Amino acid sequence: MNLRQYFFAQLRELDWTILALTLLLCISGLMGIYSIEVQHGTDTGYFARQGLWTFLGVILFFVAFVIPRKMIHNLAYIAYGVGIVSLFIPILLSNGGGVNRWITIGSFGIQPSEFMKIFLLVALAKYFADHKRRLSSVKELLSPFVMTIVPTLLVLIQPDLGTALVYFSILIFVIFWAGIRPLYFFLLLAPAISMLAAFQTLSFFLWMGLIIVVLYFSNLPFWNKALNFSINIALGGITNVLWALLKPYQQQRILSLIDSESDPLGAGYQVSQSLTAFGSGGAFGKGFGEGTQTHLKFLPEQHTDFIMTVIGEEMGFIGVMVIIGLFYLLIAKLITQAYGVKYRFDSVILIGVSAILIFHIFVNLGMIAGIMPVTGIPLPYISYGGSFMLTMMILSGLSANMARIRRAV
Amino acid sequence: MLQGKNIVEGWRSLFIHGLLAILFLILIGRYYYLMVVFHEKYAEKAAANHIRAVPVLASRGVIYDSKGEIIVDNAPSYTISVIPIEVNNKPESIKRLSEVMEVSIEEINRRIVKNRRGSFAPAKVFSRVPFEKISHLQEHRLELIGVTYSIEPIRSYVSKLDLSHALGYTREINRDDLDRFSQDLDYQPGDQVGWKGLEKYYEAQLHGKRGFRYIEVNALGQEIGEVIDRTPINPIPGDDLYLSIDSELQAVVEEAMSDSSGSVVILNHRNGEILAYLSSPGYDLEMLSGRISSKDWDELITNPRKPLYDRGIQGLYPPGSTIKPLAALFALENFSNARERTYVCRGSYRLGNRPFGCWKKSGHGKVNLHQALEQSCNVYFFNLIQDIGLDEWSHMARKFGFGKLSGIDIPRENKGLIPDSRYMNQKYGVNNWTKGNLLNIVIGQGDVLVTPLQLAQFAGIIAEKGYLYKPHFVTKVVAKDGAILQSVEPKAELMIEASEDSWKFIQGAMYSNVNDQKGTGKAARQKNWTIYGKTGTAQNPHGEDHAWFIGFSLDEKFPYAWAVLLENGGGGGGKAAPLIGKVLRKMALLRK
Repeated sequence: MNLRQYFFAQLRELDWTILALTLLLCISGLMGIYSIEVQHGTDTGYFARQGLWTFLGVILFFVAFVIPRKMIHNLAYIAYGVGIVSLFIPILLSNGGGVNRWITIGSFGIQPSEFMKIFLLVALAKYFADHKRRLSSVKELLSPFVMTIVPTLLVLIQPDLGTALVYFSILIFVIFWAGIRPLYFFLLLAPAISMLAAFQTLSFFLWMGLIIVVLYFSNLPFWNKALNFSINIALGGITNVLWALLKPYQQQRILSLIDSESDPLGAGYQVSQSLTAFGSGGAFGKGFGEGTQTHLKFLPEQHTDFIMTVIGEEMGFIGVMVIIGLFYLLIAKLITQAYGVKYRFDSVILIGVSAILIFHIFVNLGMIAGIMPVTGIPLPYISYGGSFMLTMMILSGLSANMARIRRAV
Repeated sequence: MLQGKNIVEGWRSLFIHGLLAILFLILIGRYYYLMVVFHEKYAEKAAANHIRAVPVLASRGVIYDSKGEIIVDNAPSYTISVIPIEVNNKPESIKRLSEVMEVSIEEINRRIVKNRRGSFAPAKVFSRVPFEKISHLQEHRLELIGVTYSIEPIRSYVSKLDLSHALGYTREINRDDLDRFSQDLDYQPGDQVGWKGLEKYYEAQLHGKRGFRYIEVNALGQEIGEVIDRTPINPIPGDDLYLSIDSELQAVVEEAMSDSSGSVVILNHRNGEILAYLSSPGYDLEMLSGRISSKDWDELITNPRKPLYDRGIQGLYPPGSTIKPLAALFALENFSNARERTYVCRGSYRLGNRPFGCWKKSGHGKVNLHQALEQSCNVYFFNLIQDIGLDEWSHMARKFGFGKLSGIDIPRENKGLIPDSRYMNQKYGVNNWTKGNLLNIVIGQGDVLVTPLQLAQFAGIIAEKGYLYKPHFVTKVVAKDGAILQSVEPKAELMIEASEDSWKFIQGAMYSNVNDQKGTGKAARQKNWTIYGKTGTAQNPHGEDHAWFIGFSLDEKFPYAWAVLLENGGGGGGKAAPLIGKVLRKMALLRK
């Protein structure tokens, strides 16, 4: 069997819906970028480059699809190690200060933190496939936690909170999927929620009430209940004290972590312009190439994080619904497959890709619609960006690889 | 263990499916709310975001003379503005602009602050820019980011007549006026506003209403182009003024006046229309309407001949003998023997031990009222006034319009001064003023102050036998579409009731003043038609006497009443009467 025969044999197992949905989303993104470029009348090269990324992405989709599962499983930790090393490069190359996300080769910048999403997911999948049938104690979570925290810290230094949160979202979905007891899952997430809730008195008390109820009905030993409760109370209390102890510029520095790429006019400006663009688009939009907000450069980051705003302004609520619908079909397909596939390795990868998609889509679409804080999270397949596009296409290819159609021969 | 079985529980799958559904429903709800429910609100916001209303200045109303010839028109002129936010980012632009325009950077910045309407809106810094400068700017436009130029209508003085004081000029509106006109949104920094004269008095009519063009701008405030789906609002030009000024007469008057300081007011006593109005020296309207240099301004205000001073309505002078007919009319109306009463003039009159001189040192001998007016004998009136009394005299003077505003349609008129006993008591103290003051007053000296317009009015009232037509420049206000908005109908007011005989007598005396051999105003005499007059020589403590000549004509063709004042011109008979004589001769020739 030569390579070509092998490829076509493989192709017979491809679930075309995954590829079709992925490509439809890519085309929507290209249309959005084309509209911006046509309107601005200047050849920014975004469309041509995104076209190239999409083309390369399709090739990588098939590479990721045909590559044997066994090889992925074997190379997972090595790939993870290479990924971690690559995360150091931008930091080492940095001249201090600023945002250091890219490794520049010629005129192209590569963002290793994007590809790290794949490596982290594959490594977690290998870990859960190899080790534990069922998660029964908190100690068993230590390794996956460490595996996640290392790249997370490295991207936080860059600083890139958004990507750090993506890594964590992968971990959370995966451990839930791998069988963590709901109580443990709850107690694991509780401290983070306690710290966030502490910023508002009422929400903090409601949250503490919920913790008490959960702990009361749990079968944990009393000391454990007490410890858990104390930790949450203490974290909540400390958060406020720590925050108040910080000097204003330090607070600002933390806040700017959330919004590291804000333009001079401020994040509030971005969002308000984005809302105006969406709102003025109405149900049916202003028509392709007719978006005044876009055309007149009121919108920041048009081709990257705010690409959906352009589409919304020009294609209206209908256009937005079409894209949200495509995303829903894709993710629902992946979750269904994650439940349906035979092997755990495949299942974890599928749920991990779903996690990445859900997180990106909800945060991005929420941010540009003003219900999520401004973090630099792009929209999969649609936002402009080479590393991101290639990463998402590889993840799609991997999903297709894991969710093969097993035909009776 | 690649082959480890997938043992995930169904509920976990359902949980994730549920989470996905909830998150997506939140998004769908949010987008529905944004894009469908609140669409209108955001659509408006988006429009406001990118559409800028650019004002288009209305051209001011045109000013015509009595023949319908244009006196003041509008001409296109180049204006340079800067967009504050853009030049803030590019200070080099201001530097370059300052070099091209030869104006300091500080001055340009001061003008930007003064005319600022917003960061993105152009603020006017230069108007009436010559075309060479504009083409120079065009060549260097890459170094002049944020500097724009536009074409605006400005005043163009078609007529070369010296109507400066009547017309007045326009100037860039200042902050005080902007506040004052704040109700009227039609004024913006950088606008021209009538500052003096008719331009000021008829500002509301002349100004017009600005229009708007809608320009699409981007987030940086840069103009992209005209908005297609929004009809521009065209400016409404100001209304036109038709003046009663007879340009031909005005030109003749100016020629006769040549370089002297003084004033000539000629009005039509049959309807109050001002036919000629000259305050000399005048000033260059072109210069004052633009941005006048401080050097030119200093020159204007320090000029000892006071070119900015409108002598016709603001200049206060003692009327001299021109006011004598007033006392004469009083006598005619109140003393039965007025016509026959004679006094002997020996060249001076003695009050106590103080002598009051007549202009004719050798004396007029025995004179009656007619002769006294004809020959302007002071001594006769020194005697007469003592029978009249100050308050009676000043009461009559007020009836003739002295000591009060005429209500002419240019601003800043002076009302002059007609003293009565209350005034004298106040000024000098009770019993501290004497008959001496009285004697001075009757011959138009001392405390009496009048304007040339008031004297022209006085002559007009005599011509009309007690009736006054309110003096005015504007005969009608006409909208651009031809609609007559305002039209001044001649309306007479009876100022003084006196018998026909008395009026005839006064007119006769004024006839003699011009036409008799002994008349002091004989230099004004006309060959084939008749004019009436009265000379005056007002003593001036600061120098040479002021020369007056007032008068009127009852000729159908020339229903003129006039006052001529030559500052420091010496005797009225010698200087002022010949001037009007010359004017009327020329007019008779022109209107044959």
